[in-house]
Amino acid sequence: MFSDYAAFIVLLPVIAFVLTLFLGKKLYSGGALLPIAAIAGSFIISFGIFLEIYPKDGIVQQSWPWFAGMNIGILIDPLAVVMLMMVSFVSLLIHIYAVGYMAHDPAKPRYFAETSLFTAAMLSVVLSDNILQFFISWELVGLCSFLLIGFWYHKPSAAAAAKKAFLVTRVGDVLFLAGIVLLYVNMSEIIAGRGFTVPAGNFILQFKTMFAAIPLINPTQLTYITLLFFGGAIGKSGQFPLHGWLPDAMEGPTTVSALIHAATMVTAGVYLVARTFPMFAATPSTISAGVPDSLLIVAYVGGFTALFAATMGLVMNDIKRVLAYSTVSQLGYMMLALGTAGAVVGAQAVGISMFHLISHAFFKALLFLCAGSVIHAVGTNDIREMGGLFSKMKITGTTMLIAALALAGIGIPFINIGTAGFFSKDMIIEKAFEYGQLKGDFIPYAFAIIAALLTSIYIFRLWFMTFTGTPRSERHSHESPGVMTRPLMILALFALFFGFAHLGFYDYLNKNFELLTGEKAAPESGGVQMSPIVVLLPVLVGVLGFLISYAIYHKKMLDMSKLVSSQNPLYKLLLNRYYEPKIGADIIGVKLTHDVVAQSGEFVDRKIIDRLVIDNIISNTLFKLGEFIRKLQTGVVQNYASITLLGLGLLILLLRIKFGGT
Amino acid sequence: MNYNLLAPEILLTLLALVVIILGLLMKETSKNMLGYVSAAGLLASIVYILGNGMNEAASFFYNSLTVDPLSQVFKLIFLIVSLIVVIASIEYFRDNRNQDEYYALLLLATVGMMVVASANDLVALFVGFELASMSTYVLAGFEKKNPSSLEAALKYFIIGSLSSALMLFGMSLVYGITGSTNIPAIIEFFKSNPMVATSSLDIVAMIFLVAGFGFKMALVPFHMWAPDTYEGSPSVVSSLLAAGSKKMGFVAAFRVLVLALVAIRIDLQMTFAILAIITMTYGNVVAISQRSIKRMLAYSSIAQAGYISLAFVVTTQMSIAGGILLALGHALMKGGAFLAVALVGYMVLSDNKNAKNTDDLGNFAGLGKRAPITAFSLFVFFLALAGIPPSAGFVGKFVLFYSITVAAINQASSWLLIVVIIAILNSALSIYYYARVIKYMYVLPPNGEKIKEPVPYVVAILLAVIGTIGIGLYPEPFIQMAINAAKVLGV
Repeated sequence: MFSDYAAFIVLLPVIAFVLTLFLGKKLYSGGALLPIAAIAGSFIISFGIFLEIYPKDGIVQQSWPWFAGMNIGILIDPLAVVMLMMVSFVSLLIHIYAVGYMAHDPAKPRYFAETSLFTAAMLSVVLSDNILQFFISWELVGLCSFLLIGFWYHKPSAAAAAKKAFLVTRVGDVLFLAGIVLLYVNMSEIIAGRGFTVPAGNFILQFKTMFAAIPLINPTQLTYITLLFFGGAIGKSGQFPLHGWLPDAMEGPTTVSALIHAATMVTAGVYLVARTFPMFAATPSTISAGVPDSLLIVAYVGGFTALFAATMGLVMNDIKRVLAYSTVSQLGYMMLALGTAGAVVGAQAVGISMFHLISHAFFKALLFLCAGSVIHAVGTNDIREMGGLFSKMKITGTTMLIAALALAGIGIPFINIGTAGFFSKDMIIEKAFEYGQLKGDFIPYAFAIIAALLTSIYIFRLWFMTFTGTPRSERHSHESPGVMTRPLMILALFALFFGFAHLGFYDYLNKNFELLTGEKAAPESGGVQMSPIVVLLPVLVGVLGFLISYAIYHKKMLDMSKLVSSQNPLYKLLLNRYYEPKIGADIIGVKLTHDVVAQSGEFVDRKIIDRLVIDNIISNTLFKLGEFIRKLQTGVVQNYASITLLGLGLLILLLRIKFGGT
Repeated sequence: MNYNLLAPEILLTLLALVVIILGLLMKETSKNMLGYVSAAGLLASIVYILGNGMNEAASFFYNSLTVDPLSQVFKLIFLIVSLIVVIASIEYFRDNRNQDEYYALLLLATVGMMVVASANDLVALFVGFELASMSTYVLAGFEKKNPSSLEAALKYFIIGSLSSALMLFGMSLVYGITGSTNIPAIIEFFKSNPMVATSSLDIVAMIFLVAGFGFKMALVPFHMWAPDTYEGSPSVVSSLLAAGSKKMGFVAAFRVLVLALVAIRIDLQMTFAILAIITMTYGNVVAISQRSIKRMLAYSSIAQAGYISLAFVVTTQMSIAGGILLALGHALMKGGAFLAVALVGYMVLSDNKNAKNTDDLGNFAGLGKRAPITAFSLFVFFLALAGIPPSAGFVGKFVLFYSITVAAINQASSWLLIVVIIAILNSALSIYYYARVIKYMYVLPPNGEKIKEPVPYVVAILLAVIGTIGIGLYPEPFIQMAINAAKVLGV
């Protein structure tokens, strides 16, 4: 019954977007209630669909022809339905929170219109049943992200950050588009040459059709297609080397950071890889003739990003930037899971990665909203100016501690009690270890375990510096209003208890691709018996990180002033973010792209093409021709009649010459 | 025989008579309601056609009228254009004492166009043509105190009569050759007598028909009347002429020429290609140097006729479907654009009662501030006319150009590809003069206060905007509709 209304999951927020944009000014609180109601509707439908399809292992498929063999469609399988519920639920909570957070902003209608358009586009990414619609929605979320990062466009840093985000993710988007084109070419080829047929009622770029075609596509081509897709994912999910835009994106309102740059949009890259995982899994796993292994690259990029971003998280002083690097790092874990677990347990990797994605969405959205609550109270982003806030902001402090515990993956192994992050992250680290055993390559595991230690250090550093000790500046801080704290409490419950759903979640997601293609996946070999130390280690490093932070930032047992100084080259390197802004923006962006390529392009375009070819030759000729013909239009009707008859005569003559005839 | 399928024609004819009679009885002040009555009749006809299936097939009156998907598509085009024109006219002719005649003539013109769409016999075709033409001659000169309106009507009438004569002459030649005026019978005759079909006499007959239809389509060299008439007529009538009555030429050409060309199997590809290219290039090049927006739209309309007549070059099912789609799109875009110009005229006149040349480019300066809905709609229409997605103009051009590219590959003929490239370059060229108006509307400062846009105009224009963008966003059903219509021709 709910599945008949699946299209409304996207349509409701679209309607809310239009209404809020035009009527927002006249409605309560800048029209906030419309998006909230619409997204609540989306959530209810998504949840209803979940309840409908979960017991009978069903999926929802609806599709309408669009043009030229393409379609618009809805595909709700286990993978999509969990994502739908998460996106609509988190979006709903953040919209409610924003009523309080944005209360004093004059541009509320624009804010709520843009976030509800974003939600619509993101939901459309999730439930689209073909790669083209996926791409269009993907671009739309990118656009909304651009608009919302630059929401306070009068601030130059926000405008610059918006531009950077747009341009950097564009690199990924172009790769993604190239992947779609390459896929289309290959599909056309196998339809023409190898007798592959698109079944009636299906369409060429539908995921279903793509997966059915995998065995026929040339493996080398398949590798290139998947790598191009992964290029798109790197851009959107802020993986190395396209990670630089995400910390800058924190210039937007904190609610935007929570919604778009932590819980939903940035996970679209992971979702893309998960969605097309059968293609990744089918690529040849040996490195031959210069063709790399897709899954290996996914694992290495993910693992490296996890570690690389965590190191920068250690030294940032802006509360939101720490969280941003943490997001980049956690997205790295999700990629790592797809890459390593993909090699070990095949398509089950999707479940492992998605579980971390969902639990991360809960605790990271919570961290951002807590940070927002703190910023709302003290009016600064700099943790060096905070301190001792716990006594004043008990709810925010407690919920943020819960989120930090979840991020650090704290729990009790063997008896399986712990936070959401404990279940999700430890699973990833264990799979990385299994991967090491299988391939004799423990580098991804090393990335993961060291990053886990750093994660724990930076997040507790953040918490201790914000909430404990003595206030380091004179500010009137106060607990946030109920409309803001209640979403925090709800999210905290999920961050604490969501982990216990892990077995059911893995089981449900494992069926995903079987349900879609109707083929039974080969049963995977049973789990390897893990040695206790492997199981314990992730938690141990988490606790170790907590203790280190406790010692340094709470008890001040170590004097950090020597380490934290511009004399220390390592500190400088980290604080300057490995000089990524310099390399990315100044050298590649300004010097290379603007000064060399764009300037020489402009020279050719303006001086040669515009002035010489267009101005002198084409446009002059056309203008003169136009003026000349205009004179033929004398306004005298006799001339008109003559021209009509003349034309008739010429036509007859022309045909007479051509055909001769009798 | 089941006359239900002709209900819209019957309804509109009766409605025209009722409007005239009511007009005689009514006080002048209450004549404003006649516009609403006409609009209701047109709307009812649209609903009726959509509700009674677009895929019906039947023939009437000794096989002289036929109802099939092709006729239904074009009837819908005519009805939609008339509807939006009538809605806008409610404001344009408010308090005009001759409103009753205006609406009656407009309804009769619509009926004439619908008869042409259904005509299965050369005589019925001619009668429909004349009914529509006679009515529109009067409509073009409806502002009888305005000399340029009278001039427009007179030129239209003279050249129109000449073309009718040419067309009638062509028809009589066809009758002389084949001994029938029934279109299927004529085609049958051509098929069984290929020698006759390729005779000089027959070719001359065909060219005369091309001239007659080409007049309505405003194909070069039969286009000379169009700029003067579109410029001088009341803007709402220009809208009807450019968006509606022009398509009459196309449906007639689809019915007669396409079938005849297929039957006589002579190579007129090159001839039509040359006509189409000259027409589109001519229209676009001359449009560049116009300052009168109505004139610019007239030339752009000539250019669009050039694109649509590309459908005759390859006469495949796809190309005809593309032609139909572009005709549908053009009806919405061009109809809406002329109405927007009418609103600008209203705006200028409300500033200054004695203003001349209300459609001058200068009056569009800052329109985005003065009349935001109109400016935005015009922006949409212009981009759509230039063929920018997602719009009806893009879909039509895409299908049409695609079909010719496919034909070029199938026939391995490189010159057809060149035709497509020229057509695309032409589209690019057209952006110049559209963008200039957009610049005036949004970049230049306004030269007056913000005005209140009258509701009837806004309704009519927004209907056209919704149609234009709707087809662009979800083209599949419309493409199917056009393909069904093209199938009727059996090509």
